[in-house]
Amino acid sequence: LTFIQYIASGTATTIAVTLIALPLGLVLGVLTALLHVYGGKLPARLVYIYSTMMRGVPPIVLLFILYFVMSGAINLSPFLAGSLSLGIISSAYQLEIFRGALQSVSGGQMMAARAIGMSRIKAIRHIVLPQALRLAIPGWSNEAAIVVKDSSLVYALGVTEILRRAQLLSASTQQPFLAYGTAAVIYFLLVFITNRLLDLLERRTRIPANP
Amino acid sequence: MMKRSNTMIMLTVLLVSLLAACGQREPADQLEAIKQKGVIQVGTSADYPPFESVDSAGNLVGFDVDLMNEVARRMGVTVDWVDMPFDSLIAAVQEGKLDMAISAFNYSDERAQRIDFTEAYYTSEDSFMVLESFAGQINQPEEIANYLVGVQTGTTQDEWLTGLIDEGILPEANLSRYDRVDQAALDLRAGRIEVLMSDYVPAQELMKTMGGMKIVYVGVLSSGPMNMVVPKGSATLTAALNDVIRQLESEGFIDQLAIQHMGE
Repeated sequence: LTFIQYIASGTATTIAVTLIALPLGLVLGVLTALLHVYGGKLPARLVYIYSTMMRGVPPIVLLFILYFVMSGAINLSPFLAGSLSLGIISSAYQLEIFRGALQSVSGGQMMAARAIGMSRIKAIRHIVLPQALRLAIPGWSNEAAIVVKDSSLVYALGVTEILRRAQLLSASTQQPFLAYGTAAVIYFLLVFITNRLLDLLERRTRIPANP
Repeated sequence: MMKRSNTMIMLTVLLVSLLAACGQREPADQLEAIKQKGVIQVGTSADYPPFESVDSAGNLVGFDVDLMNEVARRMGVTVDWVDMPFDSLIAAVQEGKLDMAISAFNYSDERAQRIDFTEAYYTSEDSFMVLESFAGQINQPEEIANYLVGVQTGTTQDEWLTGLIDEGILPEANLSRYDRVDQAALDLRAGRIEVLMSDYVPAQELMKTMGGMKIVYVGVLSSGPMNMVVPKGSATLTAALNDVIRQLESEGFIDQLAIQHMGE
């Protein structure tokens, strides 16, 4: 039982990493998506390069680069550096989710808003973005699940979370099924709860007229 | 286990050292800094019993762990243990993320270019482990090439086997590399590999806990003296560690630990 407890005590770390990475990715993702869709040619180009690079490199490699580079300039703990890095990586994926959502709000909405005298920024903030964010929830819940599971990558920097704990016990006790099974159940519960919460959010925020 | 960092991490470290070259840390005396803090940050990969592992309550245990705790005690500091995958350890020491590392490291020239080693505190041997039902024969170590071989990534054993591949003796497809030695042992039991090459002592430990296996070859092929790993150029720290290692050796403390953890 202490066996399971030991693995489960990594849950707090996993949740903490996710709670830093996911919101950071959300903020960066929405901002870069807005830049991409409404920012004009040059910003769109830059955002495109950012997204391609971040998504093209394996997360573990990015994690190492960001960790060693960031902490060369400022002394960050492995935990913080790992979480921030995962947030930056996630932002590239979230950017594409929000870009898709922004672009699927029909262009007529923007035109109508402008026609009744709203400024461009006002129209984005009050008309387009609220609809886009709703549309983004299903795709975003995918990304949330991935970030929960990717949070295990911080183990490479020396942060002992669920998966690393399972590995260590599997190595010392030779009971891989119990160790990884425990980890699997915890991850499943985390992702399950996250997705249920997002489902709830999706239902709560649904615009009644829309199917 | 002498380990070689895998390609991906080597690449990263290369990139990072390029980037870090501009903002080099000031080489203040490391030993003084550690003594002032009263804490030494030591990295280890706690998946390698009996050298370092966690018990089922999550406590760090093993030969290296007891040794390092005693070394630190005599230096008047306490150890702040950091668990990291073996592949990350050398990079972390090199970049000054850790004061040092102890994780059954063997000396290798390749590693010595990136970090410094202390004097040896233990000598290890290589072994070939097979299932009890193994019908083949290995008289010369190179005959391992006739079988499906497993090894832990980044170890000196991996280096040695890679040498066999480069010489065209061992077909690349016959070598499976694993993150951890216990995974390799599981695959040995499952029959996906026929011979597992590893350090002798952990192999004995695996034999004890898993059963049904035997060791058909023991000898020094790739391993040898085990050393602690410190950042390049930390002469005072290395000297202090060497002093204590010599002290513990002459007192018989290290031999006692070996008996306690490895039944030698």
